[in-house]
Amino acid sequence: MQIKKVFLSEAEMPRQWYNILADIKMNPPLGPDGQPVGPDDLAPVFPMNLIEQEVSPERWIDIPDEVLQVLNIWRPSPLIRALSLEKYLDTPARIYLKNEGVSPPGSHKPNTAVPQAYYNKIFGIEKITTETGAGQWGSALAFACSQFGIECKVFMVRVSFDQKPYRKSMMEAWGAKCIPSPSTETNAGRAALEKDPDTPGSLGISISEAIEAAVSDKTGKTRYSLGSVLNHVLLHQTIIGLEAKKQLEKIGEYPDVVIACAGGGSNFAGLAFPFVYDKINGKEIDIYPYEPAACPTMTKAPFVYDHGDTARYTPLLPMYSLGHAFVPPPIHAGGLRYHGMSPAVSQLVTEGIIEARSVTQLEAYKAGVAFAKTEGFISAPETNHAIAGVIEEAKKAKEEGKEKVILFNWSGHGLIDLAAYDKYFAGELYDFVLTDEEMLASEKVFQDHPKPQLLKSR
Amino acid sequence: MDKSKDRLERRCPRLGGDVSFYYCRTSSDDSSACWKIFDCWWECFDVVDYLNKYLPKDKFNKLVNTKPKPKMASLVELIEQAKKRSS
Repeated sequence: MQIKKVFLSEAEMPRQWYNILADIKMNPPLGPDGQPVGPDDLAPVFPMNLIEQEVSPERWIDIPDEVLQVLNIWRPSPLIRALSLEKYLDTPARIYLKNEGVSPPGSHKPNTAVPQAYYNKIFGIEKITTETGAGQWGSALAFACSQFGIECKVFMVRVSFDQKPYRKSMMEAWGAKCIPSPSTETNAGRAALEKDPDTPGSLGISISEAIEAAVSDKTGKTRYSLGSVLNHVLLHQTIIGLEAKKQLEKIGEYPDVVIACAGGGSNFAGLAFPFVYDKINGKEIDIYPYEPAACPTMTKAPFVYDHGDTARYTPLLPMYSLGHAFVPPPIHAGGLRYHGMSPAVSQLVTEGIIEARSVTQLEAYKAGVAFAKTEGFISAPETNHAIAGVIEEAKKAKEEGKEKVILFNWSGHGLIDLAAYDKYFAGELYDFVLTDEEMLASEKVFQDHPKPQLLKSR
Repeated sequence: MDKSKDRLERRCPRLGGDVSFYYCRTSSDDSSACWKIFDCWWECFDVVDYLNKYLPKDKFNKLVNTKPKPKMASLVELIEQAKKRSS
């Protein structure tokens, strides 16, 4: 029987995180005054031990035993070979996934929530505040705080609070307080409610509330916690890739391709950074962060000659297009979309060490359903983007006849996101794209362009 | 203002759930549009043209030209604002 799962024992769990700041050059973060941000600027919201990690130049940073003991609840996470998916795709590629959905909150997020709660605890902090959108981060922090006996308050954007009531239930089960934001608990919240009592809230307001709740505690025993983007968050997540390396080594494998979805960058960085380290040191490996690009052009748009850019600099090319105003300028593939991304991940894109890719929303759900039917697990919608990337690479391997090893991060399950699947199954995603009237208006753009032939090679 | 797009919905990559276009064009500070609105909606209709038509020129230019602040800078700014609010 072929190997399906590769485990590590608790004793084999990595004892150090990998800090990519030791291996890349980055501009220092600047404050609003244009001066580099110093530790004192951040001290009102983060404990100093985490601030030190945020700026540490050390390549390897020890994981405290107390953190390992909590991570032991679900770590080391299994490395799984997606044999059924391989068979379904009829690909020579060997596909491995790191299953981060086995954590108590069901995602990779507690990999950093746990050490953050620990470092706050030993710094003498008794309460942590945060904001959450979908609730993944809020529930991860709630779980972590419960492990260290820290009070946790989560400001959840109201629109999500109403859409995802079970996230609140999870947080409460771990003893945290989950409040719809804007709330009446902070000046920021009250001001927003005064303006519009029915406001659905926003991440901006929730962050303001969480920070205010930390800063305004005169006892100095409250701090704020963030679940993505920052260096120390990415550092804590590298346990994913470090474990994966050990697991692959156990079975004599090494990846040709590493894939993860990328929002703020933490799950991508978690899997990829240890392999980026190898790449920097000479290994040949392709590393792709995948992002959403829900483009309906192939299915909805006419096949025309159009410019490939909004500025109309490129020659006319035959393409499915809704007009060059709809066509993404190159910056959309890896520029604009990376504004909310971790600076370290952005730096690697800029240097060409990793290559940003995107898949459409429909492709992502299609991939997620194929994965559920073959491998059984129902993925978080974000994770589906990585799976779509994996399928793309596996098909490429088939075309090229190459036995590639593809490794990806299965960053979380989608069991609390089934409403999103319902919409997909109901065909409700993107069925609003263009009315006939809008389509006609769009096609006017092409009236002076030559018409391409629909050629068939076979 | 043409409000025909307001009821269109898509998954918000920041919130992880469905939101309407109305939410995207009003959810930021001072009821302004989210900085990701072009990224998220360009595939569905000509959001650039739409906002250019209906937003005041200064607001449209701000939306087009303003890049979101790096996380660290925005954190420091939020800390200062919170200090002022709670003092």
